Order: sequence, then C-alpha cells, then structure tokens
Amino acid sequence: MRNFTPSEVLVEAGSEQGPIYKNLKRAFPQVPFTFVEDAREAALALSVANDRFGAGKEKLFLARHRGEFLKKCPGSEGQVCCNYFVINFASNCPMDCSYCYLQEYLADNPALKVFSNVGDLLSEADDLLTRHRNCFFRIGTGEITDSLALDPYIGFCAEVVPFFADQPNVLLELKTKSDCVEGLLRLDPKERVVVSWSMNPQRVIDQDERYTASFEERLAAARRCQAAGYKLGFHFDPIVEYAGWEEDYRDMVERIFAAVDYRRIAWVSMGVLRNTPGLKRIMRTRFPSTRVLSGEQVLCPDGKMRYFQPLRVSMYRKMLSWIRSASPTVFVYLCMESKEVWEQVFGFAPSCEKELGNSLTAVRGEQKFGSGSGCASGARQA
Amino acid sequence: MNDQQILAYSKARDFRHNTVERWLGLNAPDRDALLNLAQGLDVGQNHLRDLLDWLEEIELRDGVSFAEILSREELSRIMSDPRLGRNDKLKRLKDELRRLRFPRMARIEKEIHQRVGEMKLKPQIQVSVPSGLESGTVTVQVKATDCDEMKRLIGDLVRLSEGEQMKQIFTLLRGEG
Repeated sequence: MRNFTPSEVLVEAGSEQGPIYKNLKRAFPQVPFTFVEDAREAALALSVANDRFGAGKEKLFLARHRGEFLKKCPGSEGQVCCNYFVINFASNCPMDCSYCYLQEYLADNPALKVFSNVGDLLSEADDLLTRHRNCFFRIGTGEITDSLALDPYIGFCAEVVPFFADQPNVLLELKTKSDCVEGLLRLDPKERVVVSWSMNPQRVIDQDERYTASFEERLAAARRCQAAGYKLGFHFDPIVEYAGWEEDYRDMVERIFAAVDYRRIAWVSMGVLRNTPGLKRIMRTRFPSTRVLSGEQVLCPDGKMRYFQPLRVSMYRKMLSWIRSASPTVFVYLCMESKEVWEQVFGFAPSCEKELGNSLTAVRGEQKFGSGSGCASGARQA
Repeated sequence: MNDQQILAYSKARDFRHNTVERWLGLNAPDRDALLNLAQGLDVGQNHLRDLLDWLEEIELRDGVSFAEILSREELSRIMSDPRLGRNDKLKRLKDELRRLRFPRMARIEKEIHQRVGEMKLKPQIQVSVPSGLESGTVTVQVKATDCDEMKRLIGDLVRLSEGEQMKQIFTLLRGEG
C-alpha cells in the first residue's frame, strides 16, 4: 500500500486544539501546515484543477464538521436495506479506486478533509446510544472515506474505539481497503468493534484499486486484528465479472477462510459492481483504460447499473457456494439488492430492513435488544 | 474526411460540446467510420451517444477498433439493405450492436423469445419479460371479452405454467440457463 503524504495540510482556525492536529504534526514533520480562516473557501481553489477529484486527494484539510456526524445509511431506493448508521469523520480518501462512487458523490466537494471536532462526534454518538439503550446499533465510519487509511496519521481510532467499546448497544464497523491496523492493536475492542475488509482478487486490485493494500496485506492485517480481539467482516463488493473471475474469486474466498477463524467473522457481504450513468462518465474520463465498464451492465430501477440479473444471480450463487463450502454458518447478506434477487440467491428475502438489521446485530450474542429475536435467522442459514 | 465535417454535422444537429469532443478524440479511421455511419443514417445525438458508449466498451473488452466493429458483415449488410428505410436501418444496427455489446444477455433474451414462440400462444395471451431481464419476473397479459373466454384463457394459462417452456423461461431468468 502506498504511504500517504499530502503536499500541504490546511488547518482551519480552531482545529489546532484537538488531538488530530497534534497527530498530523507528528506524522508529517516535513509537510507545510497552513492556517486558514475557513476551510471551505480554501477548498474552492481545487475547482480550477482538471481532475478535481484527483487533485482533492493531494492536500489534507483539517476542519470542524458543522453538521451532524451520525446519519442513517441512505441505502438505495427499492433495495433491501441493512439498517445501518454512518459516522462521517472524514471526507474523500487517499486511495483511488476506479469505480469509487465518491467520484460522483463528492464531485462538487472533493477536498480530502478530516474533521477536528471528535469530541462533538462522541457527544452525538453518546446521546443517541444513551437515549435508545433498548435498541442495538450498527455504526460504520467507511461511507465517504476509508475507515483506516488515514489512521496512521490522524490517530482517529485511538480517540473513538475506547468509547464505542464501552457501549452496551453498538457494534462499530471500521471498513477498509488498507492494512493500517497498527493503531487498533493496542486497544481493547471488548467485542464491540468489527474491522472489515473490502476484498477483491489481486488482479482487480492491480487494475482498479489504486494505492490500496494488496490482497495479502489486507489478509495479514485481518489476522492481526483477529489476534487482537476484533471481530472481522469481509465485503466481497464490488464483485467484478471478467474472463476467469470464477477461479480468482474462488481462490480468494478459500484463502481468506483458510487464514482466519470463521467463528470470529461477524458478517460477509456480497455486491456486484454498480455505478450510475453519471459515475460511468466520470470513470471514462479518469480511468479511460479500466475494463470494468465493459461488463454486461444494465440500468436498474434504482438508477444504478448492475450486471443483468440472471448473470449477477448466477455470480452470487457461485460466490455463496464457495463461502458455504469454506464456512457453512457464516452470516452472508447482499448489499443493495432487490427482494427478487435475494429470493433467487438465498431462497428468501428479509421482510423488512429491521429483519436484516437484527440478523446482523445478532452477532453480538445477546438477545435483549430490539424486536428481532423472532426474525433473526437471516442468510446465516441459507 | 476531416474534423470540419464532424464539426459541421454536430453543429447542424446542435450536439453538446462533450459529445463532439468524444467523437473528435477518436483516432482518424474510427472518427471517419462513425461519420460515415452518422451521415448515412442521420444519427441524432442520443443515438450517437449510445453508439459511442457501446463501441468504446466493445473496443476495450475485445481489443477491436470502432472501424473494425462497424465494418463487420452483419452491420454492413444492414447498412446496404435497399429494402430498409432509415429508421429500420438504425433500429437494426443498434439491435445488432447491442447484441455485440451484451452477448450473454442477448442470448438469454433470444432463448426466452424462442420459448415464448414455441408456446404457440393465442393472440389474447401475451408473455413477456422486462427489457434487460431485471426483476426476474414474467408478465402475462390476458385479454378477454367475456367471462367464458376468460375462463378458457385462464385454463390455457394453467397448462402453460405447467409446460416445459415456461419452466425453462424461469430457469433462464434465474441465471441457470
């Protein structure tokens, strides 16, 4: 994985008080730090770049987050949802995957930003978790950034993992394509933190996941986290179809399950490559030689393009059979798929988002939360 | 041929700047092949964008140029067929390019249409699947003028649902074909 060094760190006034600033100063002694009154204005300078999204990754902004940190994951219209909450502690990412949806989502706001007011984030999370002690939450930090890729420089995990580890009603998911787990290893997750990897065969990583950790590096990092007491998750997402994909993905699944203890895997998800027509145009410009766009994708009712249904159902079934061969009981779910696809892959579909959410939180091993004990069978038994 | 002809063609049809840029960004033989096609069929912007998308993606996947794809016999045959008017030619050409771009989906669609044909449906019954095969569902439409006819047609439908062709259609939609 490529080491990240920004060309400049721009610090918004007031952000120099917190721990993130101190960590950045320690991590980047050679990098110029510039103080600005308002990071939003400073970020406007990016608008003159040809590749604004790519240019956004070169400088690092440290600024206050002005809105709410915690949001319900928007999911995708008409698709089965897993009832997930997200914390946006940063925006954009130092890695550069060809298919990344942030290229479209952050097109007007591409600056790589880390938010300095971690205390506000924790207060907000504390308020939510305390007010709803009878509900169990799954919260992730990897929606508009990678959860761990910046951690060696900002030390975010050391600030938040101890808090979440002490909460009785939450699982924090740290989702990554990196191997930046050093900061996690000295913390005690107390069964409240899942570290999960987006996994692809090395061929896909080489072609379409620029600056990320290799497959072996990700797997080695997963083993280290498992040894340190973390639960693991694996997201086979996006699954990319190409000549020979079956051999590559089967080999990948076998190697993962041979390397980690399947009993420590909280969940496995599957999702095929998907993109909006708008993202496709951006990908054509930023990654003209990527071959992921030449798959047989069609426009689905939610506005996203996916491999046509019989093809992707067949892909999911193959993946599921390889996963089941390696681990018959691990919990598997589909990301952003319709009930019809669930039915065709698993033979059933969750009746509502709460059912899937409850199935996923069932990995906590307690039964007193929520209303899902009667409908928590999920894909684990499929 | 040269860029001026492409610019003039695009200007006459009010093409957007990025469409023209994409076209001009092709290498000379591909640019010219597309201009030939566009002029021959009076292709508008939306159709041209579809063609550009599909041709680019076939090129990336198969390592063949636009010019090579457009000179394929099945496409040349459509272009030179004197029985076809402009609209039919454009439709068939796009169908053929779509088949090249989505070969497995086109094969499944063709097989489903064959199975539907083998059912020898009465004109009052229509069996169809969605474009792009999304949703995995079969739509059956029955038109009846009175209750007796409806009963007869529903009886036909029950027999159809037990027949081999309908089972094969669902098998194909589940990706098992």
